[in-house]
Amino acid sequence: MLLVTNNEKVRTKYGPLCTVRFVDGGHNDVLKTVRDLVHKGHRLLTHPLAGSVKPNETPFRSVALSGEAGAVDLPSLELIEEAMSMCRQFPPRFHRGEDAPPDMRDDFAEIDFRLIDGALSLQ
Amino acid sequence: MRLELGEIHISDIKLGDCSKVENGVLYVNVEELRSLLLEDEDLASVEFEVVHPGESVRVIPVKDVIEPRCKVEGPGGMFPGVISKVNTVGSGKTHVLKGCAVVTTGKVVGFQEGIIDMSGEGAQYTPFSKLNNLVMICEPKEGIKQHEHEHAIRMAGLKAATYLGALGKDVTPDETHVYETSGVMSGKAQYPDLPRVGYVLMLQSQGLLHDTYVYGVDMKRSMPTILNPTETMDGAILSGNCVSACDKNTTYHHLNNPVIHDLLEQHGKTLNFVGVIITNENVYLADKERSSDWSTKLASFLELDGAIVSQEGFGNPDTDLIMNCKKLEAAGIKTVIITDEYAGRDGASQSLADADAAADAVVTGGNANMVIHLPKMDKVIGHPEAANIIAGGFDGALEADGSITAELQVITGATNEMGFNKLSAR
Repeated sequence: MLLVTNNEKVRTKYGPLCTVRFVDGGHNDVLKTVRDLVHKGHRLLTHPLAGSVKPNETPFRSVALSGEAGAVDLPSLELIEEAMSMCRQFPPRFHRGEDAPPDMRDDFAEIDFRLIDGALSLQ
Repeated sequence: MRLELGEIHISDIKLGDCSKVENGVLYVNVEELRSLLLEDEDLASVEFEVVHPGESVRVIPVKDVIEPRCKVEGPGGMFPGVISKVNTVGSGKTHVLKGCAVVTTGKVVGFQEGIIDMSGEGAQYTPFSKLNNLVMICEPKEGIKQHEHEHAIRMAGLKAATYLGALGKDVTPDETHVYETSGVMSGKAQYPDLPRVGYVLMLQSQGLLHDTYVYGVDMKRSMPTILNPTETMDGAILSGNCVSACDKNTTYHHLNNPVIHDLLEQHGKTLNFVGVIITNENVYLADKERSSDWSTKLASFLELDGAIVSQEGFGNPDTDLIMNCKKLEAAGIKTVIITDEYAGRDGASQSLADADAAADAVVTGGNANMVIHLPKMDKVIGHPEAANIIAGGFDGALEADGSITAELQVITGATNEMGFNKLSAR
């Protein structure tokens, strides 16, 4: 499995467990990295818009993809393009984690961590 | 299954030293209720406020809204698997304190949301402004984690609603409704010419602050399954979902699900309401595929002619919604979906994160991005500063004069996807 994240909390737990592609950037930078990986043939394992904390609110995002790359997976491509187009509609409130006030930053990071951790621990 | 719902009309709530229901007034012994709730080790304090329709009061941030009810006859108790033992509910007799609710508030995370205004423009958008509400401000002990805090508030609300509901046990109801459902075979024999309709109820289940519990089971760990419609009226489903105020289903919504009420109303007249299929909205894509396959498989097992699908939340649940719709339609089941929209402040953008030609019958709860102005209230209960940081609020949302400019999504229940509201969609 390949995990793309800009959340330090996710990197700390999953770094030793799988391949983590850490993105030094904001929410939309994570989605762009995911899109590039989908173009290279990785398949999405989790939804790129997890959580009802709106994508333009949270600065953190973690998305799981297949470790191996094959032919381009069209459903994955469609999902990531739709997610990015949804994000383009709403300008991000906090571009990067450090733009959010510290207590909110921690809470956003915790929610992102819990959502991806919950999804992966069930598998 | 047959459930008799006895409604006791509540016109006011009064705090005092005795708990009872008398002449339509709910009296609450606050000290007794407080000590019951403070048995939870994670809570440091619980304060109570009563708010009435028309008052200049704002409650923020709202976590859940719960209607007090009590099982009077028949198996099980309210909120099975959580408050009561896990027995199957939905038959016998249940008393409801109609016209009032328990509202929980507390700041679980730094960006929490949910406004109930009891008067002014905002009050028009939330059904809870029309109720007498017992608001509980639950503060956690120092150092507890977010998920423990959410759990403590959730349990406090359920315990308080159960405590209050029990006060109506021996009171004669003002109004009684009887809901009777048929079995799969008997329904077919009884109504051979009526279309067989089912309800696919999608439950938020993505993780912390995004969960729903059914008979105490975290729905993200369950496969889709079938409920008798009346089970929901006894609290089989409850909300642990604190995000997306406008389109979350509070426990109050689950108890009073309007899709279920309307389908039961039409049962045996224009259609044969066969049952409720509950399914989840998980993060993992394979879960989405599996759950939508299963909800369709169950619908086919029930030989449905038609289905209504209701969503909870926005964004990735749009994928579950469209998967359910596509697969049901492909199985030959005519499908109507209920959703809401994030179409930008001008309403001109793409409304959903997913779409398909099979979704050709859509009911909307309104545009959650619509900007509204909420006037200053004389009294604010909870954390007013949350207005600046809740979803749909934005920097400067809380004006110096105490008014709030924000998107409709800040208001609890404003674009509810069970179709509970009427105002935000024309």
